[in-house]
Amino acid sequence: MVNVAAEAARQLDFTELLREHQGMVFSIAYHFLRDRAVSEEIAQEVFLQLYKTLPSLESPAHVLYWLRRATCNRSIDYVRHRRLLPKVNLDDAPELTAAAAPGDPMLSARLRKLVTSLPPKQRMMVVLRYQEDLDPEEIAHVLNVPVGTVKSQLQRSLAMLRDKIERTIGEMNL
Amino acid sequence: MSRLEDELRNALRREEPPQGFASRVLARAEAGPAPRRWFAWPPLRWASALTAVAVIAGGLTYERERRMRAEGERAKEQVLLALHITGSKLQFVKEKIHEMDSRR
Repeated sequence: MVNVAAEAARQLDFTELLREHQGMVFSIAYHFLRDRAVSEEIAQEVFLQLYKTLPSLESPAHVLYWLRRATCNRSIDYVRHRRLLPKVNLDDAPELTAAAAPGDPMLSARLRKLVTSLPPKQRMMVVLRYQEDLDPEEIAHVLNVPVGTVKSQLQRSLAMLRDKIERTIGEMNL
Repeated sequence: MSRLEDELRNALRREEPPQGFASRVLARAEAGPAPRRWFAWPPLRWASALTAVAVIAGGLTYERERRMRAEGERAKEQVLLALHITGSKLQFVKEKIHEMDSRR
């Protein structure tokens, strides 16, 4: 009887966590892979793993950290094992012919595609920095790399993105 | 904060997963581990492993004893055959000696 109640409580907690974090988990995978089907599969696997691991997680913050880490690892592993090259052809991205206004959807689309062209670890750092708003220390903790590496890789990624976007649309004061 | 960083935040906003995502995860969570649950119970897993080890060890012991018995039987038959041949030869020699004695 106690076991049934505990299982029900666990399921309830799991359902709440699933509804609360599904957007985050799916978006990390999606912004990293730009493939909705694969991202959903990875997100499902992450939550199924959470379902099994949940009793050993101690707090909501621990769950959040665990989810980010599991999603990053699975997404990076997917790219490495499948040798997945970005399916995105940069030439397919909408061309920006004039200086884009802040929040311009064409500029956003172009940036998303440029992010996909970054090497996997750098790409994940950019996703965690700008989707999840994590600082370099938190990114270093999630990806298990030195903070200095995160800072230098983020700077390099920004410089590369700025260079590419300005080459495409001219001086934008980015 | 540069404009590029603002644009990146805008471009990488969280997106909602496909419709029905949570239901599919819950269905898999409920259906997934069920078939393996009986085997996942640690005492049963240990009992199964010990039973398998015991069966294999018993089988090996039985096979070793069967081979030793068969080899013993073969050796016994060979000894009996050798004794039989020796007996025949001795009988032959004895008859020859007896024959020579009677000729004298």
